[in-house]
Amino acid sequence: MKNIQALLTPRIMAMFRKGMSGKKLMGMTFFAGIGSIIWALVFYGSYRVLMYFKQVESIGDFLTFKLLSMILLTLFSLLIFSAILTALSKLFLSHDLGLVHALPVKSETIFLSRWIESTFDSSWMMILYTAPAFIALGIVNNAGLLYYSSLLISLLLISIIAGGLSSLIIMPIVLILPATRIRSIFVFLGLILFIGIYVSFRIMQPERFVNPEGFASIVLYLRSISTPSTPMIPSTWVYETLKTALDGPTTAPFFNIAIMLSFALALICLNVIVARLIYFKAYSKTQTAQSRLHSGDNQFLYRLLSHIPGPARAIMIKDIKTFFRDQTQWSQLFLIAALIVIYLYNFSVLPFDKSPMKAYYIENLFSFLNIALAAFVMTAIGARFVFPSISHEGHAFWIIQSGPVSMRMYLWIKWLEYFLPLIVLSELLIVTTNILLHVNPFMKNLSVMTMFCITPGIVAMGIGLGGAYPDFKSENPAQAVTSFGGLMYMFCSSAFFGSVILLETGPVYLFFKVHFQSHLLTIVDWIWITFSLTLGLFICILAVILPIRFGEKQLTIKMQKLRHRDLEKEPDNISEKK
Amino acid sequence: MIKLVNLTKKYGKHTAISNIHLTVNAGEIFGFIGPNGAGKTTTIQIMAGLLLPDTGNVLLSDISMNDDPVQAKKLVGYIPDRPFIYEKLTGIEYMRFIADFYQVSTNVFFKRSEQLLNQFGLINYQNALIESYSHGMKQRLIMASALLHDPPIIIVDEPMVGLDPAAIKLVRDIFMEFSHKGTTIFMSTHTLSLAEQICHRVGIIQNGRLTATGTISELKQSAARANDLEDIFFQLTRSEKAES
Repeated sequence: MKNIQALLTPRIMAMFRKGMSGKKLMGMTFFAGIGSIIWALVFYGSYRVLMYFKQVESIGDFLTFKLLSMILLTLFSLLIFSAILTALSKLFLSHDLGLVHALPVKSETIFLSRWIESTFDSSWMMILYTAPAFIALGIVNNAGLLYYSSLLISLLLISIIAGGLSSLIIMPIVLILPATRIRSIFVFLGLILFIGIYVSFRIMQPERFVNPEGFASIVLYLRSISTPSTPMIPSTWVYETLKTALDGPTTAPFFNIAIMLSFALALICLNVIVARLIYFKAYSKTQTAQSRLHSGDNQFLYRLLSHIPGPARAIMIKDIKTFFRDQTQWSQLFLIAALIVIYLYNFSVLPFDKSPMKAYYIENLFSFLNIALAAFVMTAIGARFVFPSISHEGHAFWIIQSGPVSMRMYLWIKWLEYFLPLIVLSELLIVTTNILLHVNPFMKNLSVMTMFCITPGIVAMGIGLGGAYPDFKSENPAQAVTSFGGLMYMFCSSAFFGSVILLETGPVYLFFKVHFQSHLLTIVDWIWITFSLTLGLFICILAVILPIRFGEKQLTIKMQKLRHRDLEKEPDNISEKK
Repeated sequence: MIKLVNLTKKYGKHTAISNIHLTVNAGEIFGFIGPNGAGKTTTIQIMAGLLLPDTGNVLLSDISMNDDPVQAKKLVGYIPDRPFIYEKLTGIEYMRFIADFYQVSTNVFFKRSEQLLNQFGLINYQNALIESYSHGMKQRLIMASALLHDPPIIIVDEPMVGLDPAAIKLVRDIFMEFSHKGTTIFMSTHTLSLAEQICHRVGIIQNGRLTATGTISELKQSAARANDLEDIFFQLTRSEKAES
C-alpha cells in the first residue's frame, strides 16, 4: 500500500504544485466558466425533457425509465471504451514507465498505481457531465437523500467496474498485438461506432418527438423494444439501484449496491492476479514491438507537387504524410465528414412546404443565413486542422527555425497548404446547399463569392493565431482547439465572417425589395451597396494579411522565450545555478 | 568563415554570454568547450539562427545572420544536441524533406542521400519510420541530413551524445574529411579527447565569457604543467571560478 501511495505521489504533487500565475488563473477561471455553462445546459435540457415526460400520462414513467436505462448503458459502454484507451497509455505507453519499472517494486504494485490513475482519468469527466441528468431525474421525481447517496456510490462503482474490465481485456491482448496498434484499432472502431450512432440518430429525425403524428409511432416503437434489460450487465444494477431509490426509503437499492461492490472488489483482485502473471511480460513485449516499414518508392506526391518551390513542397509533403500516418489526426476526418453529412442532410429535410411564408422567399433567406452556417463549419474545421498545424511541428520546430525559410514565408506556405483544400470544400458545401434550397442565381452567386472571400481569412486566422499560441509540447496538438488560443481563434473567426455577412444584409435586403416589391434602386441605395460590399472586401483582405503578420511576430517572440526556458531547464544548467 | 562579433545574450538578469568575439577560418575545426551552463548552447543557437542576440552579430562567409538570416542559413548544416525530428516520416523521406527545404536538385539528392545513408550506416533502415529509430540512429540521420546540401559551414552541438564507438570514429573521420575539403566546423563538446584529436583551435567559455582561445600547443604554453587539454581545461576553469 505504501508503494502504491509512493508511486502516485508525483502525480498528486504535480496537480497541486502547478504554478498559479495570474494568466493561468484567468485561463482556469475561463475554462471553469465554460465547463459550468455546459453542465448547466445538460442539467436544463435533461430537466425539460424529464418534466415533459412526467406530464405525459400513462407512458411518462415508462419513457423516463427507458431513457434512464439507455443513458446508463451508453455511459457504461463509453466508460469501458475510454478506460481501454487510457489504460493502454497509462499501463503500456507512458514515457516514464521505463523508469518506474526499474524501481524495486512488484509489477502488480506498479499495475495498481497506474490502474488507479487510469480509472480516475478515464471516468471523471464522463461522470461529471452525466451527473446533471441524474440530478435532474431526482429533482423531477422529488427524490430524497437515499437517491442521491445511491447515485454517488453507483457512479463510483460503475467507474471502478469499467476500469477493471478494461484492464482485464487489454492485458492479454497486448501479449499478442503491440499496444500502439491496439490503440489505433480501438480509436478507429470507436469513431466508426460514434459516427454511426450520430448519423443514424439524425436520420431517425428526433424532431418528430414534438410532432403528435410522429410521436405515436415512436412510442409504439419504444414499446416494441421494451424487453427487460439483462441482469448480467453492471448498468442494469445501477438502473435498478436508482429506480428503487426513487421510490423512497427502502432497502432495495442496497442489494444492487452490494452486487456492484462485490463485483468491483472481485475485479480488482482478479486484475492483481492477472497483472502478477502477465503485466510485465506484456509491457516488455510493447517495448520490443517491430517497427513499421514504408515503401520509399512512393513518388506520387513528389511528382504532383514538382512545380512548387522546394521549401513549400518539403513542408506540404511532410505535413500530408505525417497527417495520414498519425491516427489522432486522420481520425478527425471521420468526425468532420459526419458533421458535413448531417449539415447537408438537414437541408434536404427542411419543411419549406409547411411554412406560412412563400417557399421562394424563405429558401433565399435560408441561403443567405446558410453563408454564416457554412462559414462556421469552415471555422470548426479550421479549429481542428489549421489552428494546431504550427503546434504539430512539436520539438522538431528547430528544423524550420534553422532552415533557409523566413518565419513569414513558412506561415504563408502553411496558409497555402490549408487554403487549397478548404476553399474547395467551402465552395462544395455552399453550392450543394444552394442546389438543395433551389435558390435564385443572385443568391447563388453572392454565396459562392462570399465564401470565396471569407475562406482565405478563416485559414489565415487559423495559421496566424496558431502561430501566436503554439503548443510544441502537447502530445496531441489537435486538442489545442480547447486552449485559450483555440477559443480566441473561434471567436475572432466568427466575428470576422459575422461582420462581413452583416455588411451584406443591406444589399441583400435591397435585392429582396427590388425582387418582391418592384422597388427601384435610388442613388443612395447604390452608394449603400457599393460601400457595404467594398468594406466587406476590405475586411476580407485585412483578415488575411493581419493574422499572418501577428502570428509571425508572436511566434518569433514565443520561440525566443521557449528556447530561453528550455536552456534554463537543462539539467546541467540547473545544477550549475544551484 | 565564421565571425562572432561582440555577441551578448541575457535571460532576464542572467547574462548567458557576454561580448563573445571570435573568428573561425575557412577549413578550420573549432572546438568550443566549457563547463555545464557556460553558454555553449546559447552561442550555437544564435549562430544557427534559433536565438537572437541582444547585441552583436554573427557573420557566416560575410553574410550577417541579423540582416539576411535566410541567405546565412543556406550556408549552414546545423546539428543540435537533441535529435528531435519528424517521427512519422521514414529516414529517406526526412532526407528528401531536407533536400527540398535546402533546394537540392533531385538528381543530387538521390546520389548524395544514398552515399550519406551508407556512410552513416542507415541504408537498411531508410524505409523505417523514424519513431522506431534509436537515439543514436536519429542523431546519425540528422548528421547525414545536415551534410546533404554540402554546406560550407557546419555547426554542431555536442556531436557525440548517444553515439556508439564506431559512430564516434565515423563522425570524427567525416569532420576531418570535410575540413580538408574546406568546410568550416564549429563544434561544442564535452569530449575533450575528441577536441584534442581533431580541432585546429579551441575556445574555452565560462560564465558566458570566452576565457581562452588558441591551438592546443598555444594553450599548453599559457597554462603551467599542462600535459593535455584536460589539464588546461581544469586549470582555466578553476581559476575563472575562483575569480568569480
